Formats: sequence, structure tokens, C-alpha cells
Amino acid sequence: MTRLRRLAGVLAGLIIWEAVARGLPGSVLISGPVPMALHFYEHAGLITRAALETTSNAVPGFFWGNLVAVALAALVVVVPRTERVVAALALLVFCIPLIASGPILRVLYGPGDGPQIALAALAVYYTTFLAMLVGLRAVPQSWTDLMAVYGRGRFDTLIRVRARASLPYLFVGLQIAAPAAFLGAMIGEFTGAERGLGVLTLRAMRGLQIDATWTLATLTAVIAMIAYRFFGWLGQKLVGYRPVILLSAPGAKTARSLPARAAELVGITLLVLILWQVLMDGFGLNAFFAKRPADVALFLADAANREVLLSALGETLSFTLPGYLAGLLLGAGLAVLLVLSPPLSRAAMPVAIALRAVPIITTAPLLVLAFGRGAAGTVIIVAVMIFFPTLVACLQGLRQTPGQIFDVFNSYGAGRFRLLSAAQIPAMLPAFFASARMAVPSALLAVTTTEWLATGRGIGVLMALTSSTSNYNMLWSCVVALSVVAVIFYALVAMCERAVLRVYASEQVA
Amino acid sequence: MASASICCDAVSKRFGRTEAVAPFSATLAAGQTTALVGPSGCGKSTILRMIAGLEAPDTGTIRLGGESPKDLARRGALAMAFQDPSLLPWRTVRSNIALGAWLARRPAGNLDALISMVGLDGFADHRPAELSGGMRQRAAIARALISDPEVLLLDEPFGAVDMITRSRLNAELPPLWRARNATSVLVTHSVQEAVLIADRIIVLSPRPARIVADLPVDPACRDAGQDPGTPVFHDMTGKVLAALEGSM
Ligand SMILES: Nc1ncnc2c1ncn2[C@@H]1O[C@H](COP(=O)(O)OP(=O)(O)OP(=O)(O)O)[C@@H](O)[C@H]1O
Ligand SMILES: [Mg+2]
Repeated sequence: MTRLRRLAGVLAGLIIWEAVARGLPGSVLISGPVPMALHFYEHAGLITRAALETTSNAVPGFFWGNLVAVALAALVVVVPRTERVVAALALLVFCIPLIASGPILRVLYGPGDGPQIALAALAVYYTTFLAMLVGLRAVPQSWTDLMAVYGRGRFDTLIRVRARASLPYLFVGLQIAAPAAFLGAMIGEFTGAERGLGVLTLRAMRGLQIDATWTLATLTAVIAMIAYRFFGWLGQKLVGYRPVILLSAPGAKTARSLPARAAELVGITLLVLILWQVLMDGFGLNAFFAKRPADVALFLADAANREVLLSALGETLSFTLPGYLAGLLLGAGLAVLLVLSPPLSRAAMPVAIALRAVPIITTAPLLVLAFGRGAAGTVIIVAVMIFFPTLVACLQGLRQTPGQIFDVFNSYGAGRFRLLSAAQIPAMLPAFFASARMAVPSALLAVTTTEWLATGRGIGVLMALTSSTSNYNMLWSCVVALSVVAVIFYALVAMCERAVLRVYASEQVA
Repeated sequence: MASASICCDAVSKRFGRTEAVAPFSATLAAGQTTALVGPSGCGKSTILRMIAGLEAPDTGTIRLGGESPKDLARRGALAMAFQDPSLLPWRTVRSNIALGAWLARRPAGNLDALISMVGLDGFADHRPAELSGGMRQRAAIARALISDPEVLLLDEPFGAVDMITRSRLNAELPPLWRARNATSVLVTHSVQEAVLIADRIIVLSPRPARIVADLPVDPACRDAGQDPGTPVFHDMTGKVLAALEGSM
């Protein structure tokens, strides 16, 4: 019965979609299910081969990214002293937009699948790292005491106790990672591959082929959702229960003095610069395209170069900020509205979770077609990109309100509004801020990818231009600038988070 | 198995501004069972955790038969049961119990006999979630016993079960560790349980823990068994209660 009803719902949706596509005055921009099916039928071979190609890059990237993530989390748990440095480096790499690391990897690797695989790995490792860190630590103290009572060390505890206990968390991480790996592989293809769905998307969009663009975007969404569903199913099958995890960055909970934090910042910056230099030298990479810190510093010492970079960066940020704020506020706002009607929120949850898995970025060309190359299109893409993860996180956060609190409020006959403002929204705040932090790199990724693909503005297009004209100094400078902006942006959000949570959820701040 | 005496020499512990244990000295004879009783939060668990080597004392030393707790732990000669049974949910009862032997690097020879001794016949292949609270505690005690420890530490192992189950566990399980001659320390809130199980009862003051009474228990109390009305049992519980109340 429910299955029939669901099928009927899907059918109705398709019919409405088709009607809208045909009926609206903007119908030149929207393709319906029928033309999409026709397009797919005509180019089935080409599209299938491209999809297989992209998948064949996403899978090894998924594997390596998750493997590194698990290894890093295990390292931090076995040798807690490494946590600060590992977490900072992991965060930093996560903050570099994929579309920025893409061209760099492209020049370093040359042609081939390397960059796509690497980007797929980069797209997944951070969320899995966070999930595993929570999972490996989610064991009762008495279990670790038990190991210690027999003189067993951290390594035995990791193998015998933590590894198994973290499995449910691993699957939550893998589930989020599966669509992300696909997205990473596609972004790798955007930056100059020969085959794959990303290449087809790029071509369809440049040729203003509406049906082709829509078909590819829809196909990507379907594949991402299948991957997401598959790991959800596998996790359910193998470990049964699915924990709710707040993906908040580690180490953020301990308060430290300002000088200590400043010293840490300087230390990490130095470490990054050294690692950068050592990696380039260690692999003997050609100085023509593999720029070192000194090259970038020298390049940026020239005011004219700085001028170009900063004006592009400024343009990018002017799109990022409104989109970021709009996405966060709409996501949180809708979550709050939905919670006023529990049946509605129960129904919305799976839809939101499914849409969260869609790599929105691949629809960027469509949104740009629909809303134009101006600010509106880009801002909307950023907002949509952030909207669904925020909605899901906030809905989950709202559900975290302990049952007794409801009872206490109800026993006073407190109304809906009081319950919401005094109990539920404070309970939602940690989840909201966790997703606000994770949204920083997403927002920058969305803007720069849109610029690269479609709008021809901002730092995204500057990177596209410089990588095709071999202006590698500028390319590297763009990447550095974006990373610095991302880290500062992230730190600002984290500061707001601490300030707000200190008031509303002091137990979370320590 | 030879057992080790426990020597605490002026051990103390503070957590930040909280002084949990004032200098505490006691020698617990090898093979004996000693009960620590005292008001909640007085530092009983902290003392036990220091004996187990889970917490380092701020001052003083602890020797277990001449060795440090860590050395004894590394030899696999230490075992502990906690208030929550802390079984690994993905392992069966049998494999949870066998874990005790694996952890201690000792053979798990008499596994099935032990399972039946703690009264878990027929449940060896069940997972902890399928057991009642009392059965989980039986499994936890069996895990502690399987390695034949020289020192056995029990932190309110029967604290989370109902009274009737508790008195059954009190009657059935202590004979098992007595028979193995382990030097045992039992932390408990129940004066009757202490009298029933222990050879000696140390009564502690409110935090920071100091010894307010150190009472040997007449073995006749154990024989009096389940009947609290027996005069010898009644006298003993009276003495412990008086010491507890006097300290507060
Ligand atoms: N890890 C810790 N960090 C900070 N304070 C602690 C810690 N462990 C214990 N304490 C404090 O030390 C004191 C003694 O605690 P302990 O757990 O030893 O008491 P207890 O006698 O076992 O209490 P209960 O009977 O309730 O189990 C308490 O005030 C407790 O708050
Ligand atoms: Mg205690």
C-alpha cells in the first residue's frame, strides 16, 4: 500500500514537472522528464560510459579518502598528543575548495585519472575523520578501564574495543562520503579531464544544451542518492543502529588562553609552509608549475598582482556571504517551522536527507541558466548548497531535546512558543553551529565552482584562466588566498559558536 | 594460585579543588575479602581505582605483594568488576568471559565449567542485550574470575540489580572467588552485603575518605547466611551502621 502510494507520488511529481517544463514562459530553460528520457535514450552509450568512468574514479577516491580518515582518527585516539596538529592540518586541507586544488593537482599529475581520484578522496576524508573520531571515542570509560586493569595499552584497546564500537559511526561517515566522492570526481573532471560525466556536463552547458544538462544533472543526483541509500542499507544490515553525530571539529571544546592560541596558529602555519616546500622538493617537482612558498610570496609582493587577486577575491566573497547566510537562515528557519508540526517534520526528514545527498553543484549550470550570470544565480547556488545539510542538522538537533524537558514544560502548561524558544532552539544550537562551520568550505566550493563553470567572474574564473594560460604563480596565489579566507571565515564562525553556546548550552563548551 | 597482600601507605588523591582521599593506610591480608563502606562520594571508588592502577595517587605508595599495581596488571594477575557490567555488546557471553583470559594472557581452560558455576548454563551463546541485569553481573564476575587473579577488585558489582537478585548473587558468587583464594576488595553501599561477604569491613568517613572503623567479621556471620535476624549477624551490622552514622 505505502509502496503503491509512493509510486503514485513519484508519478504525480514527474507529471507536474513535465507540465511546468512545457507550460512556463521560462520553458526554454527547464527540461521535463520526457525530453530527458529521450535525450538519455539517444545518447545512452555515451552517457553510460561517462558515468562508469566517473564512478571508476570515485570508487578508488572513496576508498583512499576513507582509509586515510580512519587511519588519522586512529592515530589521534592512540596518541592523543597528535590531536591538535592532525586536526588542524585535516581542517586546513578540508578548507581548500576542491576546485582550487583541482587545477594544482592537474598540473602536478598531468593528464590521467589522478586528479579526479585525489579530489574524490579529498571530498570524503574530513567528514569520515570527524565521524570516526566521535565513534572511536564513544566507548564507556569502564571498557577502557577494563583494558587497563589487565595492563593492556591504547593499541589493544583500539583493536579490541574501539574499532568495533566505532562501526556504526563509520557507516554514517561512509554514507555521507559516498555522494561526496562522486561530486569530488566530477569536480576533478571539470578541471580538465577527457572523459566522464563532468566533461559531458561541461560540454552540454557550454553548448547551452538544456535537455543534455538536465539529463546529466538528474543522473548525477540519482547516482548520488543510490550510493547514499546503499551505504545506509549496508550499515543497517551490518551494525543495526545509526547514531546521530554532530560533525563538530575536534579540540574546539577546550578553552585556551589567547597567547597559546596565537602560538599554535604560528606553529601550524610554519608547519604548513615547511610541508609544502618539502613535498614539492621531495617529489622533485618542476619549479615551473610546482610553486613554492617563496615564489608565491615574491609574486604577491608585486602590487599589480595583488590588485588582480584581491579584486577577484572580493567579488567572490560578495557572492559567498549572502548565499551562506541565506542558506543557513533558511535551513534553520524551515527546521523550526517544521518542528511546530511533528507529522510534517517526520515527513520532511527523509526528503531533506535525500536531497542533502544530491551534489547540488552539478546543477549549478542550470541555476545559472535560470537566474543569470549575475549575483542572483551564484547566491542562490550557495544558499541551496548549504540549505539541506543545515536543515537536516537542525531537525536532528531539535529532536535532541530531552523528553523530560517536554514534560516539565507541559506540566506548567507552557505553550508551543515557550517550549520552542526556551527548550528546543537552545537544544538545536550546537547542531546549527556545527553545520555552519562545515558549510564554510561548501559555500566557497559552490561559489568558485559556479564561477569556474558558468559565470566567468571572481576568483573561480581567475583560476580557470591562469591554469589554461600557465600563469602558475597566480594560480598558486589564488589557492593560498582562498585557503586563508576559508580558515579565517571558519575561525570567525567558530568564535560566534563559542560565544553563543557559552550562553545557551554551557555544558557543550566545557 | 598464590595471592598478594595489598599495602596502601598514606595514599591520597585530589581532583582539582576536591580532596577525594585523605592519606589512607591499610594492609589487606592475602586471600582475604575486605569491604569498603562509606557514604556516597567519600572516595571509595577512587581508592579502588588507585589499587587497580587506573588512577595514580598524589602521595603515598601502593604495593600488591611487593609489586606495583601496573606490574601486577601487566602480569594479568589483576581483575576488576565494575558497577555496570561493561560487557562488550557484540560478543556472546562465552566470548565476553573468554576475553578476561585473553586480556590477562592466560588460558581459558575451564570456561564452560565457570559458566555453569556462575549459573549461566544455556546462555553461553547469548549476547548481553538478551540477558537480565543479574545475569550480566554474573557474566562480568565470571570474566573477572576466568584469569584466576591474585587481586580482585569489585566496585559495587551488585549495585544495579534488585534486592532479591542481589541477595542471590551475594550467596552464589563470593564462594567462587573465596575458593580461588584471591585477595578481594569489595566496595558496597549495603552493610548487610558487606557483613555477608567480607572477612573485614573498613568504614570510611565522608569525603575525604579516612578510616573511622576497621572491623573484623566473625565467620559465623557468613554461615548465618541469608537470615539477618541471627544475633551474630545483627550485632555485626549494628556495629557497622553505628560507625557509619558516627562518622557523619
Ligand atoms: N575523575 C574525576 N574527576 C573529578 N572529580 C572526581 C573524579 N573521580 C572522582 N571525583 C570526585 O572525588 C570524590 C570521590 O569520588 P568517588 O567516586 O571515589 O566516590 P565514591 O565513594 O565511590 O562514591 P559513590 O558511592 O557515589 O560511588 C567525589 O567528590 C567525586 O566528585
Ligand atoms: Mg563509587
